[in-house]
Amino acid sequence: MGGMNSGLSPSDPTLETAFRSALTHQGLLAAAIIVALLLLWGASRNWVPAEPRATAPAEPAGRRVLRIGFGLLWVLDGILQAQPQMPGGLPSQVIQPAAQSSPGWVQDIVSAGGTVWSNHPIQLAAASVWIQVGIGLWMLVAVRGEWSRAAGLAGVAWGLVVWIWGEAFGGVFAPGLSWLTGAPGSVLLYCVAGALIALPAAAWGSRRTGRLLLAGSGLFFLGMAVLQAWPGRGFWQGTSHGQPGPLAGMIADMTQLSQPRVLERIVAAFGSFDAAHGFAVNLVAVIALAVIGAALLTGRPRVTQAAVIAAGVLCLAVWVLVQDLGVFGGLGTDPNSMPPTVILLVAGYLALTRVPAAALAPAVPDTPAVPEAAGGPASTWPSRLRSAVAATSIGTVAAIGSFAVVMIGTAPAALASLDGNADPILAEAISGYAPPIDTPAPAFTLTDTSGRTVTLASLRGKVVLLTFLDPVCTTDCPIIAQELKLTGELLGGQARQVEMVAVAANPTYYSTGDTRAFDQQEGMASVPDWLFLTGSLPQLNHVWQQYGAQVEDLPAGGMTDHPNIVIVIDPAGNIMQEVNADPGPATTSTQTSYSALFAADARQALGES
Amino acid sequence: MTVLSTTAPSTVVLAGRPRARLGLIVAALLLAPGLLAGCAASGGHATTTTPAPAATAPLATSMTTADGQAWAIVAMGGPAAQEDLFWELITRPPGSDRWTLVTPPGVADNGGLVAAGTSGPLTVGFEPSQDLTFSPLATTGNGGKTWDAGLLNAHLASVPDAIAANGTGMLALLDDGAIDQASTGAGGWAPLAAPGAIAASAAGRRCQVTGLAAVAYTPSGTPLAAAACARPGSTGIFARVAGTWQASGPADPGGQPLRVIRLTQAPAGDTALLQAGTSGAGSLSAAWTGNGAQWTASPALPLHGAKVQASGTGPGGALWVLLSGDRAETLTGPGAAWRELPAPPRGTAALAASPDGTYDALVVSAATLTIDQVAPGGGAWRTEQVIKVPLQYGSSS
Repeated sequence: MGGMNSGLSPSDPTLETAFRSALTHQGLLAAAIIVALLLLWGASRNWVPAEPRATAPAEPAGRRVLRIGFGLLWVLDGILQAQPQMPGGLPSQVIQPAAQSSPGWVQDIVSAGGTVWSNHPIQLAAASVWIQVGIGLWMLVAVRGEWSRAAGLAGVAWGLVVWIWGEAFGGVFAPGLSWLTGAPGSVLLYCVAGALIALPAAAWGSRRTGRLLLAGSGLFFLGMAVLQAWPGRGFWQGTSHGQPGPLAGMIADMTQLSQPRVLERIVAAFGSFDAAHGFAVNLVAVIALAVIGAALLTGRPRVTQAAVIAAGVLCLAVWVLVQDLGVFGGLGTDPNSMPPTVILLVAGYLALTRVPAAALAPAVPDTPAVPEAAGGPASTWPSRLRSAVAATSIGTVAAIGSFAVVMIGTAPAALASLDGNADPILAEAISGYAPPIDTPAPAFTLTDTSGRTVTLASLRGKVVLLTFLDPVCTTDCPIIAQELKLTGELLGGQARQVEMVAVAANPTYYSTGDTRAFDQQEGMASVPDWLFLTGSLPQLNHVWQQYGAQVEDLPAGGMTDHPNIVIVIDPAGNIMQEVNADPGPATTSTQTSYSALFAADARQALGES
Repeated sequence: MTVLSTTAPSTVVLAGRPRARLGLIVAALLLAPGLLAGCAASGGHATTTTPAPAATAPLATSMTTADGQAWAIVAMGGPAAQEDLFWELITRPPGSDRWTLVTPPGVADNGGLVAAGTSGPLTVGFEPSQDLTFSPLATTGNGGKTWDAGLLNAHLASVPDAIAANGTGMLALLDDGAIDQASTGAGGWAPLAAPGAIAASAAGRRCQVTGLAAVAYTPSGTPLAAAACARPGSTGIFARVAGTWQASGPADPGGQPLRVIRLTQAPAGDTALLQAGTSGAGSLSAAWTGNGAQWTASPALPLHGAKVQASGTGPGGALWVLLSGDRAETLTGPGAAWRELPAPPRGTAALAASPDGTYDALVVSAATLTIDQVAPGGGAWRTEQVIKVPLQYGSSS
């Protein structure tokens, strides 16, 4: 799973501030779009006379429960995604733990997504908020018709993204799969609900959908009962070799999370109970799952009603005692699997027992065909457009607005995903704020790896990214060199206007042989516009002093101490900025982030010259 | 959780095909970031792997140069995993019983130190660590008071005898099995043996070389290379004579595969430490030569399952071995029998021999180095000196 974590603290203030800013800006944009749509719709009322609309049949109760229930869940999940630590914390606190016990191929897939998140935490985190809030609103406002079905499909699509990359396939490929702990992943239930919402209206006109949903649920419960009862999986033991069993262990972990005291006590008490009576607890769980599953399979309304009620009670108990409501501590991203399970079961029961008589009638389209005569001359497209807008219902307008909210998140996330390099925000989070400077850069005369003399004056006309590197450094210097190498690649054609210059920063190892060896090691010898300069010790001491770089050997096998900085010098020879270039956690994300930051600084220096 | 059919026949009249595709378009747009995430992340940076070291002797050691100066290398500090393990070079001047810290500055030495130089300057090589892939060198001609920087633009093998120096030339055993040589000082390195060249030579094939372990010079300046051999009875010591590598080791009547785990220079000749058989049923023996051709062998020392934790040489061809299980065995020189020292103090990282037969135990505890001493006749270890080493924790991570 290496590489998927940026290494930054989830509570990094720079990330949190940037996240808040992104949410605010995108929220304002979303609000503006919705207001504009509503104004447009309101104004359109005056363009053409209102047409009498056919009365639409009532939405089937089962579908309504699904749509509203999962719409609210999506909105709640979107709000949870807006937690300040989400950009920096999701890979390390949510994705990585979810995938760590899965097979290698699952981890590879999940890691790929986690890496993209780590590279673009602000864009992806903000996108998750708006996509989920947008889908939720969309489901809530689009009651019927194509827009409503499209909301269901949107839920399926985004749900699959979250299920694969956020929940590591819900842990279905990991050992220890258990319904009690959330298998097969709550978001897979969102996908099922989305698919049901996306069904044609006719599918809700018979009891068949409800019967299938409940039968499928019954099979699922039975399967989960078998898994729960399977010998050797540890669920029959409250403790094993002095350690808590799988369920008691998970509950014990839950109690460590930040949560209300009352809830913590309840959960802890149940954890102790399970540790002491693991067999009995599992027996109850197995029997309950099996009985509920069998009852759901019967398809008889009275039996299924009892089963749904029993399932609701069981789900509530598991939700509180085992899943800890799903949202406390760490970075909860959803209320876990029990609420969506209950909503699905209730929807299935209603679809089985309450089929509206009018449901089999043809659906009335949301946007009825507008008579050509209604808006005046029918041959011109502006008049047809006005008519179409005027004939659109407020529900459709709201659905379009919700879709726009989804797109506000999707578009930047898709664009960010195409960029294999990380956003500069990670580097800014590590390096801190670099105030602008405007002082002449001290002159120097040094020697490159070929023995040629190089002066700062000879670089006039180019932006100089100046750094101090120890040729025999074992950690930061090679990383900074690689960051600068990538900076050159990111600059593309502008790289010719930028010189990346390193000055040897070691009072013992500073010969051209040393700088050449470093360049060879790092593959810098072939990098255009790269210079690793050195000189005599007095020359170097002078440069170090002029640029305020303290360089000294440390005793007892320590590395030479020197500053990790990149000084941005404009083409006129003035220092514009001094960036703290400490690589920090030096993950792939932070390294490419620094490259992007240096490239941006160089472009800014070019632009301001 | 549910089995649903989305292909159920629909009798509902929908509002036109373009709008019917809306859901699919939305689904595609929403899936795009995730799919792009998978695609975009698949082209990660390539990682490099460091080849395995050529052989297996621990780096902790001690030696005595021609002028009687003792040198020792030990690891100190915290866990290596956090780059808080630092290797230190200490020295004891001739005639003195006080040790001084003289670790050469300028390079993080978490990868280890190796030293060479029997007569004349002492050269220390830094084993590359972390992102460093070449080996800085440092040479002193004044007992470690000052150091001159040098460079081997290659990766030294991680064995205590990876470099050899005789005042006029240097040899370096690299981690890929090549041997480089320099005619003077640390500059002007040139290949002496390509990777696999010794194994491919006639002598190497007879011996069935499995890996190189050491380089050394004979007193007359002939380069030697030591190896582990798979063929029982073959001792993998080779001399570079007339442009070819020739078998030069002592005859081994034992009939077991032999590994040369040390080959060290002394002013009067070279000392080899040989391990026969597997560690459980194996044994150690030493062999001395003054010319690289005739060897004097020691008796075999049964290991009884013990492993070599450190080894080194001393004046007059003395040799010591620190074994697991709190064992310390010594040889005073050619023809001598193994002698067991009293159980060394807990934390002993290396021993150091004195001309009078006294042994110092270099005992490490984090940043404290304690020198305990035992007299030639045996008895108990006695603490003689405590050195607080100013480790710079965190400076290499």
